[in-house]
Amino acid sequence: MGDERATATTRSRPGAFARAWAKAVSGTSYLPMTQAQLEALLQRLTERLALALRADPFDLRIGQQVGAELVQSHIASAEGLGRTIEVIQLRLVRDLDLVVDDVEDRMARLLATVATGYARALRDRTLDEQEAIRRAAMMARAQAERALRDSEARFRHQATHDPLTGLPNRTLFTERLTAAITAPGRGADRIGVCFLDLDRFKVVNDSLGHQVGDSLLVSVARRLRRVLGEHLVARLGGDEFVILVERAGCTEDVVKVAEAALAAVSEPALVDGHELTVSASIGIVERQVADTSPMELMRAADSTLHWAKAAGGARWSLFDADRNRRELARYALSAAIPAALDRGEFYLDYQPLTGLRDGRVVGMEALVRWRHPELGVLRPDSFIPLAEETGLIVRLGSWVLAEACREATTWADGPAGAPFVSVNLAVRQLHRPELVQEVQGVLRRTGLPAERLQLEITESTMMSTVAEPVRALRVLADLGVRVAIDDFGTGYCNLAYLRDLPVSELKVAGEFVAGLRAPADDPGSRTDERILASLVSLAHALGLTVTAEGVETADQADRLRAIGCDAGQGWHFGRPGPAAPHLDRCSPALTDTAS
Amino acid sequence: MQRPDWAPETIDIERPSVARMYDYYLGGSHNFAADRAAARAMVEAVPEAPLMAQANRAFLRRAVQFLADSGIRQFLDIGSGIPTVGNVHEIAQRIDPESRVVYVDVDPVAVAHSQEILAGNDRAAVVQEDLRRPEAILRHPDVLRLLDFSQPVAVMIVAVLHFIPDADRPEDCLRTLREALAPGSYLVMSQASDDGRAGTGERAEAERVYRRTDNQLFIRSRAELTALFAGFELVDPGVVWVPQWRPDAPEQAENAEQAVFMGGVGRLGG
Ligand SMILES: C[S@@+](CC[C@H](N)C(=O)[O-])C[C@H]1O[C@@H](n2cnc3c(N)ncnc32)[C@H](O)[C@@H]1O
Repeated sequence: MGDERATATTRSRPGAFARAWAKAVSGTSYLPMTQAQLEALLQRLTERLALALRADPFDLRIGQQVGAELVQSHIASAEGLGRTIEVIQLRLVRDLDLVVDDVEDRMARLLATVATGYARALRDRTLDEQEAIRRAAMMARAQAERALRDSEARFRHQATHDPLTGLPNRTLFTERLTAAITAPGRGADRIGVCFLDLDRFKVVNDSLGHQVGDSLLVSVARRLRRVLGEHLVARLGGDEFVILVERAGCTEDVVKVAEAALAAVSEPALVDGHELTVSASIGIVERQVADTSPMELMRAADSTLHWAKAAGGARWSLFDADRNRRELARYALSAAIPAALDRGEFYLDYQPLTGLRDGRVVGMEALVRWRHPELGVLRPDSFIPLAEETGLIVRLGSWVLAEACREATTWADGPAGAPFVSVNLAVRQLHRPELVQEVQGVLRRTGLPAERLQLEITESTMMSTVAEPVRALRVLADLGVRVAIDDFGTGYCNLAYLRDLPVSELKVAGEFVAGLRAPADDPGSRTDERILASLVSLAHALGLTVTAEGVETADQADRLRAIGCDAGQGWHFGRPGPAAPHLDRCSPALTDTAS
Repeated sequence: MQRPDWAPETIDIERPSVARMYDYYLGGSHNFAADRAAARAMVEAVPEAPLMAQANRAFLRRAVQFLADSGIRQFLDIGSGIPTVGNVHEIAQRIDPESRVVYVDVDPVAVAHSQEILAGNDRAAVVQEDLRRPEAILRHPDVLRLLDFSQPVAVMIVAVLHFIPDADRPEDCLRTLREALAPGSYLVMSQASDDGRAGTGERAEAERVYRRTDNQLFIRSRAELTALFAGFELVDPGVVWVPQWRPDAPEQAENAEQAVFMGGVGRLGG
């Protein structure tokens, strides 16, 4: 018997008790092991229990360890403990055939230690798991928050940076500019902005493609950032960049920044396999923080950039308050045109076109004037170019056409017929599809015969002979309207295109005529005379008449007459003014007797 | 389901999570009061729920054992849950310490807990992803780092499919996964089924309980689950109640249909 007990304490195959125990606990909790593994485990614990039951003195620890080990092996449920106690109590002594003194007493103590060890281990395990899951929840939340912050940061970065070049974009630039200007206590500081735009960037895009254009922008951005690292360099869009010079010491500091930027941009660079050298224009504004607002600063920088561009590019311009004021005044003037039209502030002066052979006034050029309530009478050159830029020229031009035709009908019909009225037509008017209709309407309403209307268009307008305007002119010419090329000779001077145009007259630019003021034996003067002579004979060959502009002296008039020029216009024949006095000189007989 | 990659899922411990409810069924303490309340409501409706969970987990264990015995050393466990007892890497790495395991779960708490458990184990990792974004799973750097898809991989999708509605086209997700696998790879799947149990009213009640969580229940029949193994050859005994799948002892397969979960293992031929 003793031998048998000895073998029972060594590793052995699961006995009846271990198998019964395994059966009792399986299903009470999830056990991550096979039935065989469970039985082997319980066999080992069975041997420990047998040992505890017999040990003298009684050892509390063995039973407690068995209880703890059950939990660690995941036999860890209330039912698991209950069934374990039941099985031990009922079967341990019997199945193992144990002989123990005080067996009931010892069994009670053994069960107590197993239950204690089990309960303690289960509680520890519960606490550990609770702590682990709480920590995991905290960690998960922290990770989610970090991800959120990262994505917010990413989002913010995306919202404030240009995806192509990685530079700050307009949003970030505006934020920084606003902060720099509105920060309290900074009123005395100076701030500078360099507004940069590449010269002829469109040519790169058009000739090499947008991909190369984009690569060029990236390369320019990199160069700017390299040389201007300490200043904020932003891309506002397209090929527009801006540099913010916070805390500028003086204007010179900002000019240095602009020069560094120009130098960096003009470095030759290899872009997508193309060796590209580009230049840039920069508008510089530098002033005291207290004197400006972000919007005003950027507007000033924008105008200044245009000055640099207008001066040919590859340079910087510095903001000039006087010049800016003048330009603003010009803009204000153009904006006032519609209201001035409504109030009838415009009127027409006329300048005669006089026949060189007989001195008869053959036509009169209508010249628009603006009787401005504050500025007095304004000449066209102070408002027409702006009206052309802004498109207001269309309304103004319509008014001039109608008014000129209306007045022309009142001109006395002499024996050789009344002079025609010559009206300037702007490019924009010419491109309007309604042009033919408009002219026809005016002629119908005023009753002016078509032959008494001449439309003057500039040579450059005709150089871009788009089909539509040419067709319109042809319709008008077929109606009998005269078409004159104004300022002839200042453009390409290409006579070939005249063949295809419905033109009846050339008005030779004053520059050529000016040459005739020098003595006739001056070589320069003789050249001008020869040019004019061949021009006239060419024009005649094409069936066109020629009017010389800017005729100021009788000598010029004589020489032009000798060349064969048909008519003259200029101070010699009459200054712009009301029509009536010119008309008085209309009769050739009168002119003859007067001279 | 397109959500921004930072949108927090259930980190709200006031809202029951299916991962932590499952842990509770298994007798774990990795759960919060809200999880226990929902789990108790589930037990009320379906008294065998804890046993079902245990039976499913036992199926998972036997399946991993089977795969390891068949020579599989790479495991991709999608919907792996809260690491509790008998995790795939514990079973697989006990058989071969070189075995590699990547766990995937959408539940951020489950993932965070897995990270703690796996700290220091350079052959196992956890990834927070959604089964419905298989491309994202397959592209994930940890997946690519640990698993070699030119060699057989076992994909485990155990007790997860019943959270995926047909509308999310689980068959498409499975096809994407299958196409990434080398011949000799395996697919292990189980899911809640009501084959032969329809009409007890338990299903409606269970679905009601799960509406409290982020996940709804989508029960499928044996035929439907079998269809999802398309492209794989089912190993014996096919798709069955999970206790019937290669039990350790015959008596474990008794009253198998009470297990509610059906499962099977498929092998990619070729
Ligand atoms: C019931 S547990 C199963 C755990 C383990 N696979 C097992 O069988 O023992 C389901 C797990 O799937 C996860 N789960 C649910 N929908 C999921 C999805 N669309 N993608 C990935 N995991 C998902 C849950 O977060 C949860 O941890």
